[in-house]
Amino acid sequence: MSASPGGITPAPAPLMQVEAISCRFGGLLALDQVSLELAEGEIFGLIGPNGAGKTTLFNVISGLTTPSGGRCLWRGVPTTGLGACGLNRLGIARTFQNLRLFESLSVRENVLVGLHHAARAPLLGALLGNGVFRRHQGRLEARAMELLALLELEALADQRAADLPYGDRRRLEIARALATAPKLLLLDEPAAGMNPAEKEDLRQLIGRIRDHFALTVLIIEHHVPLMIRLCDRLAVLNFGRRIALGSPAEVRRDPRVIEAYLGGQASVAGEGQ
Amino acid sequence: MDAALLEQMLLGALLALSVFLPLRCGQLSLATPGFYAVGGYVAALLSTDVPAFAGSGATSPLAALLAEMVLGGSLAGLIALAIGGPVLRLRGIYLAIATIALVEILRVLNLNLPFTGGAMGIFGIPQPFEHAGGYVLFTLGLLAVACWLCQRLEAVRLGRAMAAIRDDELAAASVGIDTPRTKLIAFVASAVLAGVTGALAAHFFNSWNARAGSFDASITTLAFVVFGGSRFWPGPVLGGLVLTALPELLRPVGDLRLILFGAVILLGPLFFPQGLVTAERLRGLAALLGRVRQAPQAP
Repeated sequence: MSASPGGITPAPAPLMQVEAISCRFGGLLALDQVSLELAEGEIFGLIGPNGAGKTTLFNVISGLTTPSGGRCLWRGVPTTGLGACGLNRLGIARTFQNLRLFESLSVRENVLVGLHHAARAPLLGALLGNGVFRRHQGRLEARAMELLALLELEALADQRAADLPYGDRRRLEIARALATAPKLLLLDEPAAGMNPAEKEDLRQLIGRIRDHFALTVLIIEHHVPLMIRLCDRLAVLNFGRRIALGSPAEVRRDPRVIEAYLGGQASVAGEGQ
Repeated sequence: MDAALLEQMLLGALLALSVFLPLRCGQLSLATPGFYAVGGYVAALLSTDVPAFAGSGATSPLAALLAEMVLGGSLAGLIALAIGGPVLRLRGIYLAIATIALVEILRVLNLNLPFTGGAMGIFGIPQPFEHAGGYVLFTLGLLAVACWLCQRLEAVRLGRAMAAIRDDELAAASVGIDTPRTKLIAFVASAVLAGVTGALAAHFFNSWNARAGSFDASITTLAFVVFGGSRFWPGPVLGGLVLTALPELLRPVGDLRLILFGAVILLGPLFFPQGLVTAERLRGLAALLGRVRQAPQAP
């Protein structure tokens, strides 16, 4: 429904609209009337000091937290009350800041769980393990291996997720999220704990999967130079409020951002150039 | 070992699988004995009150037994379906307590309903098999089917979703798994298995009363799984077989036997925190069997 055949097309609804989301936990106002819009295909960065409400906003968008006020719209339709599972089926997948893998399952099985939506097979055939089921299973396995290859994890397919080193765990979580065939991918601090070379690899990887899967990416990251190079647009949160929004160049010049986030050290923002 | 003890061991293994199914999905449900009692009462009432199920004299037709197992399993499953929605919103120890309460409610109902025979229960339940050996063969078949289904679960979508919920329910929901529905399926499957087992057990024990589904039984069936291992189906099966047999095999030591039984339950988890059957030991066993099989072919 994104375009009509006529010459004049009404502007299509953005992929995701966050409308005046507030989130209160007891006396703490974690999010205060935050609004933003994600256009299809962009890489949108969310930055801000610790405790600014970035992860809370992720939790609201992915349905893990119910906001106290405001709403999210997916292609113009409110997503209120859908829950994490429903929002994932709509096309929103996420990773977690503190990695939540299925630790006792193998790398391959983690991705196969992500392919849950595609794995529906007739019950009787599945129980008997007949030819139809085995072919179906073969296609799923092939799809899982494709995703693992894309994230350079195919050699580790049979390892237990719990036994992986840190960087591989981060990429496995991305592979699992991609397996759910999302339109919007939320990445919560994917570069945490990575060295500069790994961060550069990650930047290229995110660009690559965006192109490969025609994704929109919303990303939280502390490393400002990385975000400035990676993102099409940035929003800055501070104490639950959105204090800036725009292209990386605009945001970097914004005095409120320099004040709140960079603590006056404006030169930091230019480091990555 | 006599056939009657063997039959009790097999029933224990079936009940252990019933506890294992929700646990495989991360749900600590102790409701198994309640559903077991319900299944038993269905069989007991039908085969003593309804002529079509009773057969002639002391024996009842095998078809009647199968029908009672289907009905007993269905009733248990329906109860689980009805209460599963709200009950499964609870997690961990809270779910355990709620399911203990369910077992208690069913026990008090069974004691006081006008048609369940009060504290005496129902007796003179006709026998579909003349000897305990017949029960053993039949139950062995039922256990084989249950084990096969549990084995197939490892390979299918539902089984993976259950394992994902066990590992991390929140992450499972966020990769698009309908977690309430999956948990409900595991709970209902557990209830059906317990109900079917109860229907069979009522015939075997010849009488049935409210003691079949008690808090003690909840703890015993949980011990089967803790002792045997809760990761793979061979664990609960082994736990059910061993821990049912143990009190009987220890009979020669007299009053000490319950203390020894308690010690085994205590020491098992202490030395084997994952239970007796773990992934590593299964792999080790498979490797060992593979070597034995290959040995004769070696030049």
